Amino acid sequence: MKKISVDHLARVEGNGGISATIDGKIVTDVKFSIYEGPRLVEMLTLGKTPEEDVNIVPRICAICSISHKYAALRAMENALSVKVPAKVSLFRELMHLGEMIESHSLHIYYLALPDYVGFPNVIAMAAKFDLEVKIALEMKEFANHIMKTASGRYIHGENPVIGGFGKFPSKEELIWIKSRAIHFMPFVLKTVSLFCELDYPDCPEEDTVFACCNPDQNKYGIAGDEIILSTGEAINKEDYKSLTNEFVVSHSYAKHSRYKGEPYSVGALARVNNLGEKLKGEAGKMYKKYFNPRWKKNPLFNNAAQALEILYAFERIPKIIDKMRQLPAPAIVLYKKKDGKGTGIVEAPRGLLIHSYEISGGLISYTDIITPTAQNAEDIERYCYIAAQKLLDKGKESKIRDRMDLVVRAYDPCISCSAHMAEIKKAPLDDWRTKLDGIIKKGLPIFVGIGRGNRSDDRAGLELALELRKQGVTDVWLESEIIEVEAPWKNKPHRPLVFIDALDFKEKPGKMILLPLHYIFSNTVLSHKLLPFISSDMGYERLKNSFVLGIQPESIEEGMKISEPVRQALEKVLKQIMN
Amino acid sequence: MEKGSKEKLKIGIYELTGCAGDALLILDCEKELIDMFKAADIQSFLMAKSDNIDGELDVALVEGSVSTEREKEELLDIRKRAKTVVAIGICACFGGIQAAFLDKKDWEKNFKKVYGDKKMTHTKPLQSKPIDAYIKVDYYLPGCPIGKEQFLSTFNRILRGHPPELYRFSVCVECKWNENDCLLNKGIPCLGPITRAGCGSICINHNLPCVGCWGPVEEANLTSEFHLLREKGFDYDFIKKKMANFSGTGMADFLGELKGEKK
Repeated sequence: MKKISVDHLARVEGNGGISATIDGKIVTDVKFSIYEGPRLVEMLTLGKTPEEDVNIVPRICAICSISHKYAALRAMENALSVKVPAKVSLFRELMHLGEMIESHSLHIYYLALPDYVGFPNVIAMAAKFDLEVKIALEMKEFANHIMKTASGRYIHGENPVIGGFGKFPSKEELIWIKSRAIHFMPFVLKTVSLFCELDYPDCPEEDTVFACCNPDQNKYGIAGDEIILSTGEAINKEDYKSLTNEFVVSHSYAKHSRYKGEPYSVGALARVNNLGEKLKGEAGKMYKKYFNPRWKKNPLFNNAAQALEILYAFERIPKIIDKMRQLPAPAIVLYKKKDGKGTGIVEAPRGLLIHSYEISGGLISYTDIITPTAQNAEDIERYCYIAAQKLLDKGKESKIRDRMDLVVRAYDPCISCSAHMAEIKKAPLDDWRTKLDGIIKKGLPIFVGIGRGNRSDDRAGLELALELRKQGVTDVWLESEIIEVEAPWKNKPHRPLVFIDALDFKEKPGKMILLPLHYIFSNTVLSHKLLPFISSDMGYERLKNSFVLGIQPESIEEGMKISEPVRQALEKVLKQIMN
Repeated sequence: MEKGSKEKLKIGIYELTGCAGDALLILDCEKELIDMFKAADIQSFLMAKSDNIDGELDVALVEGSVSTEREKEELLDIRKRAKTVVAIGICACFGGIQAAFLDKKDWEKNFKKVYGDKKMTHTKPLQSKPIDAYIKVDYYLPGCPIGKEQFLSTFNRILRGHPPELYRFSVCVECKWNENDCLLNKGIPCLGPITRAGCGSICINHNLPCVGCWGPVEEANLTSEFHLLREKGFDYDFIKKKMANFSGTGMADFLGELKGEKK
């Protein structure tokens, strides 16, 4: 067993690491660890006033501080029924776009580009890429200027408040920002070409689900009141938990999320994939020129998507300023309400950010904050796993470390966002029926029953296999019948492989779960019985198409009797398969 | 003539638990950044570069609070390697917002509410504390985040072997320089009198009260601020929470004494 790890991820924000454990020719585990300590930010807000919350929560993260402030303001204003005038909304959009440009340009030029051109950092890169570095510095400085104008300072400004702003900028200031944005356009277009034309490796490439805010008025945008998915589904912001389904993992102080049991991605790439068709102007032209189906599969294209969004932001700024200038500066909207519930969602530079609050008697009684990096964590691990296994299959083990580094960095993770509260939830239980149907649709599975015949509920896998055989299902095997060299799945990579086993996943007896086989490795609570069956020639294609159907046992004491809940579960599975 | 890298001061920039805002602020010194890298030998700066070295240092700039066992060990190692340690930002100076749970039991209870009984395998959590809870700190550069001007002046002075010269007065002084009207006089709860200057009284310049995010100024008259706010009609709990929001361990003694005081 050996471990390839990046202990201190460099050129990302905050403290984190990624590691892959390799056993022979199999990547048995990939972990995206967050060393950033627990800050319990949500707990800190309890008992505070809504105003204090808006002061505190942006401190979760410096680089997304404006997005945190904006999400908190939207949530509070929903809860307190505050409606802000148009000029306030426009000025907020301007500050939010400033943050988007600042964060994206910092990421693509300072943090990501050195990898693709072979330098350890942006300063060293300057020797050869003088113009690029100069553009990056100027662009970031301009974006910082916008944020300073809107929020009061570069980071953690307090000018945006519930109901409006402490102060609006002068006409001269707005005109300066507008003209500077226009002057920048040639460099912005160059940025888009540069990052869309980079040679992104084709590994890892695999479908995922993308989620982002659905902006109002059917336009491209970075805030909204609804979440849309690349599957075409839409989720109301108040129902955000049906998307995120958070759970605690033991190797990170940031919680992980899965949608319908599967990892999903948020961020610039999710936005461009879900909303790119709505881009207009130069951004629309560039989208048509560069977008291709690989963007839907390869997380490295997040760099290209961020460049495209910088262009979107630069085109949007002059329009916002023209509108702002026609409106008088409104006073802060005051409110009297002392109780309420509200959720606010925005797109932080690295993806969907959710703030949800309950206010009772003027003080906060419940806070839930879900950050983009926490949502991306599962997909980061999945893509790193895919990259590591594929490279291993091709005998390129030495490339794994750098490739994982590249994948993690492409997600632009913001590791500081390791706040959390909400009640503890167990890992999400997949709807095994739908998943099993999905697998069967792909092809008739090879079933393998696992278990010990003399250990009560641990017999379940064997019982089911025998029953399937009795019903005439072919290609059903028992654990004891498998000989490694001639495993029944050998040379049949396209036939799904389903192991049936009693798995202890800390649920009620009889509960069922269907997992991709490789998750077994990363969930140590589940089972180690399956490990011997993963013969060393099981490559990525085989593993991708292998699953475990687990049944929670009541008892695995010595004995021949299967408990009632497990017996009922077996009947359900049998019925499902025979249908 | 430019000095060879052997003669340049070896500097390391480290981030513990926090928002990484101080490191980001350093990256935000766009125009000065290249000069900084030229003037000093930046040995370690995870956010900015990947060729980092953990060796002997002249100066270590440390951001963030100590919130895990791993960070505690890292910090002890940094202290061993560095001649001078500078705490940058309120998380390193006072523990920051996450150090507001001053009572250990209170922290444990809240930790459990968030993470349940799940055993953390990667690193043991610790109640957030400022870095001087574990090591000797030579200089404190406050801020949330640190201010660009103060950082660059500190960086320059350290490069030349001088101690930093920081403002040792409260936000009120800067507020007067900026000719703002006093918000306290208008009955708005402002923490300017007890908060360390350096931000340029930015919130009051925007007609908003100081939230105290730079932490307490040396010898702040906390009792006076407390009674002043009481006189203005603010509730005991409200004032106490407001003073505790950003001060971490900085006002711990005062807030602890208040416990005994009659509401």
